[in-house]
Amino acid sequence: MSEQKRRPEDDGRDFANAAWSIPSYVLSGIIVYGGIGWLLSRWTGVVAFTPIGLILGVVLSVYLVYRKYGR
Amino acid sequence: MSTLTLLASGDEFKAPGLELFEFPPIISGVPWFTKPVLVALLSTLIVLIFCWSAFAKPKLVPRGVQNVAEMGYMFIRDQVARPFLGKDADRWMGLLLSLFFLIWVWNLMGVVPGIQFPVVSHIAFPFVLAASIYVLKLYLGFKHQGFFGYFKNMMFPPGLPKPIYVLLAPIEFLSNMIVAPFTHAVRLFANMFAGHIILAFFSLVGFWFLFENLTPLGAPLGVLGVVMTIGMTLFEMFIQFLQAFLFAMLAAMYIGNSLHPEH
Amino acid sequence: MITAARLAAEEGANSPLLPHTYELVVGGFAFFVVLFVVGKILTPRIQKTLAERTDAIEGGLKRAEEVQDEAKRTLESYRAQLAEARHEAARLREEAREQGAQIKAELREEAQAEARRIIEQAHAQIEAERQTAFAQLRVEIGRLSTDLAGRIVGESLEDEARQRRIVDRFLEELEGAGSEAVR
Repeated sequence: MSEQKRRPEDDGRDFANAAWSIPSYVLSGIIVYGGIGWLLSRWTGVVAFTPIGLILGVVLSVYLVYRKYGR
Repeated sequence: MSTLTLLASGDEFKAPGLELFEFPPIISGVPWFTKPVLVALLSTLIVLIFCWSAFAKPKLVPRGVQNVAEMGYMFIRDQVARPFLGKDADRWMGLLLSLFFLIWVWNLMGVVPGIQFPVVSHIAFPFVLAASIYVLKLYLGFKHQGFFGYFKNMMFPPGLPKPIYVLLAPIEFLSNMIVAPFTHAVRLFANMFAGHIILAFFSLVGFWFLFENLTPLGAPLGVLGVVMTIGMTLFEMFIQFLQAFLFAMLAAMYIGNSLHPEH
Repeated sequence: MITAARLAAEEGANSPLLPHTYELVVGGFAFFVVLFVVGKILTPRIQKTLAERTDAIEGGLKRAEEVQDEAKRTLESYRAQLAEARHEAARLREEAREQGAQIKAELREEAQAEARRIIEQAHAQIEAERQTAFAQLRVEIGRLSTDLAGRIVGESLEDEARQRRIVDRFLEELEGAGSEAVR
């Protein structure tokens, strides 16, 4: 939170953070939004909700990683 | 070796599978004392003896075992602790070094002749390590950021457009609280599990086509199996080291993020 | 053992993702023993040794630096001394030259003064001698002239005063011509 001054090792830390967070975030995104899509498909009978949810999950998680570490 | 002979004694070649990871009790009537348990304890003893002979009375000018162990220490300090923990690095070196050495020796057991069983290919072992780190991570997070502060920093990282939080907070929560510790354990487990199957497969190919069922047609295949076994053993040794390093690195990353929330 | 393994395999054992309870216990035990011995006991020791080693190396560097500084200082002081000596020598040489010149000048002046004094003395003596000679000459000439005149005229000049006057006049004329001749 606090705006510390950036040291060179922070870049390495951020890079590793990002690299090892991506699988975890993408998996989480797929589970959350794929799961919601799957539930919607089951309740409404519209099959398309499942793939939409899965894609949305991937996109959102990649966006999250990008915003957190990408700049 | 017993599994290999068992599998090879049939009439036709059968690729090894999950039965590679099933072991009966060594002493009948003591159900918990199986080969994985024995190897795990043996490895622990090796780590203790190695570290004790290296670091019990450390010399200013290192020699022999101390030299080797110091290389491990420096590696973990410079590649794991300092990048992720900065000035807190020295306080967590004990934990990280223990993790690294223990996991590495557990992994190495996969290529030690006569033992050939990577301990963490039984998920209980990586699971208990990852769970310990998970508990530590939560404890440190609550202690340094407060209970609500920890979740707030985790789920609502600063610098995002407000409406997006509603969509992203569930991902953050799931990732940090469930998926990350899960993959922490499973990554180590899966690598060793798969590596063990691959090694067993190629050595079984060599054994089957060169000893059990030697035919002119099968012999080249057997030779290929032996060559691949040697190559994969070398590769597996690299993976064993890498996974031990990665596990310690991720532990340092989680601890670091609990001490100082990401910006 | 082989049959047991086959039995276990045929039983269609647990999923590899389900941990065995006793392995959890053994794994936890192993981890905490290693954590205690390696992490709590041994790591501080090696950290202490590493810190001491860093100190030793840094101390050595510092000592070497000090020695170098010392050598530099000595060299510097030698250089300064040498420069000072050179300067001093130059100063002395200059001084000597000045003194020499001064002495020479003084001597010359003294010699000139001496010469002048001798010349003056000589002049004075000559003058005095000339005066004396003149006085004697005057008396002598006066007497000679009187004698001569008396003898020539054959008569004694009766009047002393007149005689005196004649002589003086004669002498003055003589002197005028004489001094002109002396000059």
